Amino acid sequence: MNHSLGPTYEQLLGSHWVLWYKTSNRYSIVDENFKALLDAYLQSESINTFRSNLDIANADTIADRIQYYLEQCHTQDIDQTVSATLSFKPVIPSFSIHYECFGQRFQINFDSELVKKTIHPSIAHLEVNTTKKPNVVFDVYLDQDQLCLFKNKTLLRSAPKKDYHLIQGKFVMELLSLIHQKEESDWVGTFHGSTISDGTHALLLMGESGKGKSTLSALLVAHGFELVADDVSPLLSKDLHIYSNPSAISLKEGAFEVLNPLVRSFEEIPETLFNKSKGPLKYLVPNPLLKGSYSCKALIMVNYAKGKPTKLEPLSIKTPLETLIPESWLSPKPKHARQFLDWLAQLKIYELTYSDTASVVKEISTLFKTLPNAQD
Amino acid sequence: MKKDNNTDKITRKDAIKKMGKYAALTAVGTFVILNPLKAQSSSPPDPGGNPFD
Repeated sequence: MNHSLGPTYEQLLGSHWVLWYKTSNRYSIVDENFKALLDAYLQSESINTFRSNLDIANADTIADRIQYYLEQCHTQDIDQTVSATLSFKPVIPSFSIHYECFGQRFQINFDSELVKKTIHPSIAHLEVNTTKKPNVVFDVYLDQDQLCLFKNKTLLRSAPKKDYHLIQGKFVMELLSLIHQKEESDWVGTFHGSTISDGTHALLLMGESGKGKSTLSALLVAHGFELVADDVSPLLSKDLHIYSNPSAISLKEGAFEVLNPLVRSFEEIPETLFNKSKGPLKYLVPNPLLKGSYSCKALIMVNYAKGKPTKLEPLSIKTPLETLIPESWLSPKPKHARQFLDWLAQLKIYELTYSDTASVVKEISTLFKTLPNAQD
Repeated sequence: MKKDNNTDKITRKDAIKKMGKYAALTAVGTFVILNPLKAQSSSPPDPGGNPFD
């Protein structure tokens, strides 16, 4: 059999194997039974040998399905996010704003109020009044139906305007690389989730949209925890730490009532209306971090469930990964894929069900105390 | 124009495809295949809301 069809890397996590295929940058989670069959298939001299060795009635079906499985694992997606070739158009911007973070100065030019709303509200707290020359100048503007992001007049990415979240994502990647003095190729990935720290370790909060990740982050920040990152949590290859993302916490209207009594001057935070489907948003500015990065020790799948008691339970890796991987950007480099699997292996995995604020804060405080004390 | 009325007939291969990301091998194990995003992104907007329209 063609051994090269097998996964490039494999990692046993609890009762599941997580396999990575270099050709497609796809991850696969399989149970032990399937893994045993897959290994037997790959080690067989031929399909016929595999079938005869199985010696069961449905050997043909199993062989077909393993073949189908491997085809899927090696199928490369067409990258639909490749930017059109657009050259920089020198126009007088409607807004030209200076920002500073971690000693790095940057300027963003926006061509309209609407375009400004794609990026500015989440970093408005970084705005500075200065005439000093910025390290980097970004331009964000609409060129017909394409929303374009330029860095020092070089196109970073363009996307149809309805896909503005891709421009936001690319900008965040650039911002993280700028303030932490890294290159994009230094990151293992950017996870769709929020990272919270007690000043020593960090926890990654993830879950489907509307399950209360950002609300929980804001709650924990109101109770003295540090926000490392909201929405986009970046993992650096060099030390496998999650680095701080200075963007403010974006809160939907549903969270306002819970947070109003807990966050000082919450009512005074202006509401931003950008996308009607998301409703009005408030951007909660996190406190400055004590450190620029933290070692993440646990992955928590957040599940806000009205009326349910707070419960933190160990969870198999399968369910969280089914949400995390499709919503995260993960570097296709083999070194980074191996690091991601190793990083997963050291994490504790939990599901957190909550509705009551006091008990959920207590539960997270207790969890932080049980984490190992290693500083790495 | 000839109308194709065979749309409800699918091959076995199609049936497996239609199982989506889950394809269960009953009694012999299960697998799931996951695709990371090809490009960095922030939270995508819910369907139906495009602020630029």
